[in-house]
Amino acid sequence: MNLINTLIAGVSIGAIYSLIAFALILVWRSTRVVNFAQAGQAAFSTYVGLSVEKAVGNYWLALIAAIIAGVLVGAFVEVVIVRFIVKRATSAATATVAPVIAMLGLLGIFQGLMGLIWGGDYQPYPTAFSRDGISIAGNQIPFSRFDLFVLLTVVVAMSFAAVIFQRTSLGLSMRAAAFAPEVTRLAGIRVSRIRTLGWAFAGGAGGLAGVLVAPTTFIAPNSFDLLLVFGFTAAVIGGLDSLIGGVLGGLALGIGLSVVTGYLGGSYTFMTAFVLLIIILLVRPQGILGARGARRA
Amino acid sequence: MLAVRSSHKPSATKRIILAIAVGALLFVASNLIDEYRIFQGAQVAAYLVGIISIVLLTGYSGQITLGQGAFMAVGAYSASLVVQEFGLPIWASFFVAVIAAALFGAIIGISAGRLSGPYLAGATLAFAVGIPALANAIPILGGEQGLSFDIGYAPGKYADTVSPYKWLFWICALCAIIAIVIAVNLTSSGIGRQWRAVRAHETAAALSGINPARSKVLAFTVSSGFAGLAGVSFSATVGLVAPSSFTLALSFLLLTGSILGGISHISGALGGALIIVIIPTIFESWTEEASLGVATYLPGIIVSALLLLSIALAPEGPSELLHKIRHRHRH
Amino acid sequence: MIRALNNRIRVGAAVAAIAGLALSGVPAKAADAPGVTKDTITLGMTSAQSGAASPGYNKVGPAMRAYFDYINEKGGVYGRKIVLKLEDDKYVPTNAVNKVNKLILRDKVFALVGNLGTATHTAALKKTPIIKQQVPDLFVNTGYSGFASPKKYPTTFMYLPSYIMEAKVMSKYIKDKFPGKKIGILYQDDDFGKDGLAGFKAAGLTFVAGGTQKYASLSQATVGLTAQMTELKSSGAEVIIIFGVTSATAVALRTAAALGYGTTWGPQFIMGSVGADPTTLLTLAGATTAEARAATLRSLTGALSLSFLPAATDTEDEYVKKFIEINTAYNKGVVWDNNVLVGMNQAMLVVQALRAAGQNPTRASLIAALKSKGGTFASAGYSKLDSANNVGYTGYWVGRYNSTGVIAPVDGGKPVVYTADSSTSNGDVAVSTFTRPAMPADGVPTNS
Repeated sequence: MNLINTLIAGVSIGAIYSLIAFALILVWRSTRVVNFAQAGQAAFSTYVGLSVEKAVGNYWLALIAAIIAGVLVGAFVEVVIVRFIVKRATSAATATVAPVIAMLGLLGIFQGLMGLIWGGDYQPYPTAFSRDGISIAGNQIPFSRFDLFVLLTVVVAMSFAAVIFQRTSLGLSMRAAAFAPEVTRLAGIRVSRIRTLGWAFAGGAGGLAGVLVAPTTFIAPNSFDLLLVFGFTAAVIGGLDSLIGGVLGGLALGIGLSVVTGYLGGSYTFMTAFVLLIIILLVRPQGILGARGARRA
Repeated sequence: MLAVRSSHKPSATKRIILAIAVGALLFVASNLIDEYRIFQGAQVAAYLVGIISIVLLTGYSGQITLGQGAFMAVGAYSASLVVQEFGLPIWASFFVAVIAAALFGAIIGISAGRLSGPYLAGATLAFAVGIPALANAIPILGGEQGLSFDIGYAPGKYADTVSPYKWLFWICALCAIIAIVIAVNLTSSGIGRQWRAVRAHETAAALSGINPARSKVLAFTVSSGFAGLAGVSFSATVGLVAPSSFTLALSFLLLTGSILGGISHISGALGGALIIVIIPTIFESWTEEASLGVATYLPGIIVSALLLLSIALAPEGPSELLHKIRHRHRH
Repeated sequence: MIRALNNRIRVGAAVAAIAGLALSGVPAKAADAPGVTKDTITLGMTSAQSGAASPGYNKVGPAMRAYFDYINEKGGVYGRKIVLKLEDDKYVPTNAVNKVNKLILRDKVFALVGNLGTATHTAALKKTPIIKQQVPDLFVNTGYSGFASPKKYPTTFMYLPSYIMEAKVMSKYIKDKFPGKKIGILYQDDDFGKDGLAGFKAAGLTFVAGGTQKYASLSQATVGLTAQMTELKSSGAEVIIIFGVTSATAVALRTAAALGYGTTWGPQFIMGSVGADPTTLLTLAGATTAEARAATLRSLTGALSLSFLPAATDTEDEYVKKFIEINTAYNKGVVWDNNVLVGMNQAMLVVQALRAAGQNPTRASLIAALKSKGGTFASAGYSKLDSANNVGYTGYWVGRYNSTGVIAPVDGGKPVVYTADSSTSNGDVAVSTFTRPAMPADGVPTNS
């Protein structure tokens, strides 16, 4: 496999890692919780999309349904569960581990529910565009119209998020609430509502990521677990606090893993992600683009 | 200090006597019950050791692990390899499993021990996915189908009279009892107190002369040794060592068991192991022909919901809840 | 001290709990033949009902159950109704051990039928009492030749022809029709794939440099096959054998389309029988969009595949015709395909084996009956069922897919069935002279 092809092949999956990293970082910034249940939320939203697709047969409606489902599920999780648990659990001696375990419990509930509702078998998810490699000057490259669509969608979604964060007062409140919740509260902003919004946005991003990745992996209740592992790795690479960092981290990870898979074989992919994660955590815990000192929770 | 130590010594002996008594009771029980229960008993014993390894690391030392399955895999693969490649006897392979996993844990502890909270969680998570996948990359590990690990039959003339299930159960139960005795003695020793001190307040512990970093690495090492033993017991119950035995789901299941049983005490491990084996069993018998889906997914939902509830109500486990209630009565 | 005492009390309570749990499971009095009562015969099966390898295969168990329901409606086997307990092992060996243990020890099934998967069943044979309790282990749904071993596994009988047989037949066909062409292969990296490789080796088929690619079996997750298919493409292989489960075959075909199959790249694909059900392949490839379906169909069109049963689309076949009727009536909502055919046919064999075991069957009488009479059972299979030697069917015919995904014999007309054995010392293949017994009236066996 030649190098350029290998690099190109990693771009679209990298974009999907970026989305997951984005979702994890949003939640981390607002609540100081790594949302390990994100894999379950994303799969749940994708199943909703698939059901809509099967009912009406329209890819775009399904896509929108999945995003909306993601937003609603994200908000629901924050309001009904996270608020309650984080408040209680953080007072115990197990404060550092409790939120992580709570999120795993939530993941288990999501996966069980999906199994009950949609069954455990692997289902294909349709695409709107061809997944055949595009031919350039007679050479077929491992980059399809669908990959292009994935990349563009992620870019649009990220630009949308950037505009909200940088140009609107809502975005300003979100950034303020993330870094100085007390001061923000004093400024008269309802931090809890901002927090819910953060979870909702993250949920929507997860739903979008699910729909974009499902055609290449099939969908099953636990089929996004590995996506979560890679998304988290990407988030850490970029620095858990930096949205831009997470996005770049995702792309870097996607391309990097593609190179490893291409030259060493698929069995080394996971190990590479692990080694990369450890190295980055040890050498630069604040991540490549992380702000200020290391935050180790 | 001396007085405290001497008051512990006899209790260690008593613990061993108690352990022998429990062993004898289990031995008698294993002759009374049907073979499927014995098989499940062996599973409980294997899970029990795995949960102890988590209780030591997370409950005592305060370091979270989502990847205990990876350490179990290291132990199980080492055991199988030394039997297959060097012809070591099975009993010796159990020791090899413990040592190999502990060494591995030391290395991981040195690098990951500096992390905490979500970072450590994420690192161990990636570890849990990465290690079993290696089996497909290294030919000697037998790929997805794995390696054989057969504890065979009871020795000599007992081979015909002792069913393989009893033999399996005795071995796993023996491992579990030994693990419990060691863990209880360890946690009530100075090492256990150091771990708890570091967990409670790292700086304060450091000021009182404890080296937090060393304490954490030690916890990682010891915990991994236990995980290695759990891995080899677990492999004995299925007769093979394969990547599909050490999935993320297994790591999550053990963590769940440790929380449900009570993560701050070794004694919680037994309850935790029983819960994660019994709940699915109950559902299987309830939903006989009704629907495969309900039997498959409902136990997971219930266990997860219990996990959420216990994190919210009693993060340190049910014993903490009892303690709280008792405490309230006294005042 | 108080804490230690507390701990001890807790441990004691937990031990009591274990003992309680254990005693609650005291077995009922063992009958002469476990799983057989006055009105029922209980059978057990484990298969991949969910998980990455499940697509297609998860229809086999329910199809068997549907056929049993049909027979039960017609009076059962000597008045006894057949109950099938179906367990999901997700294609994971650990689960298979658990589930088979449960079926034998707790559910006390009379026999196991149609357990699916090579690695899963190898583990089950090793760590469950199939051999010790002489549990009949009928028609295992895998072609791993190692299962046909009366010495090692006295109660295990195969259903599929062995992968070695399949590889030999494939080799002969390739050598006859594609002499001098470069050959490549994609296989599953476990005993399933290795059994096939042994057959290709016995037949003297050699692969082009870089043309031997493998993938890890799907017990954990789906894998991308881009690297493997790209290697196969650049190896210059002109004939590519895909020797894998259905879900992997689907990914391979889909990837081939993405790599330019049908436009810039045109190897001849030959697929193993277990991975070649067109309905499942097309569903997996995303039959929900016309474009995806078309791409897979493009890879499938002209591809060759081996089969031991008639094509599921051959509605002229008397067995297929009847099974479709039963599927419509007793397996509601399930789309008819090759997996359903495999399951129904298997169930029909089971019913005949149970009948042959006599009015009051025991495990021993079932095995003896299958050994002596299995070869005479009526079934849709085009080759002899060699149960006398614990072997399954013994032959294959070669078919080609047309542009609608329908398979038909390569040379048109009636399929030519090639037969071989599982020996690895030769690659001998012969044209079968087997004549298939006629369908029992109404699809209800009356043998004894």
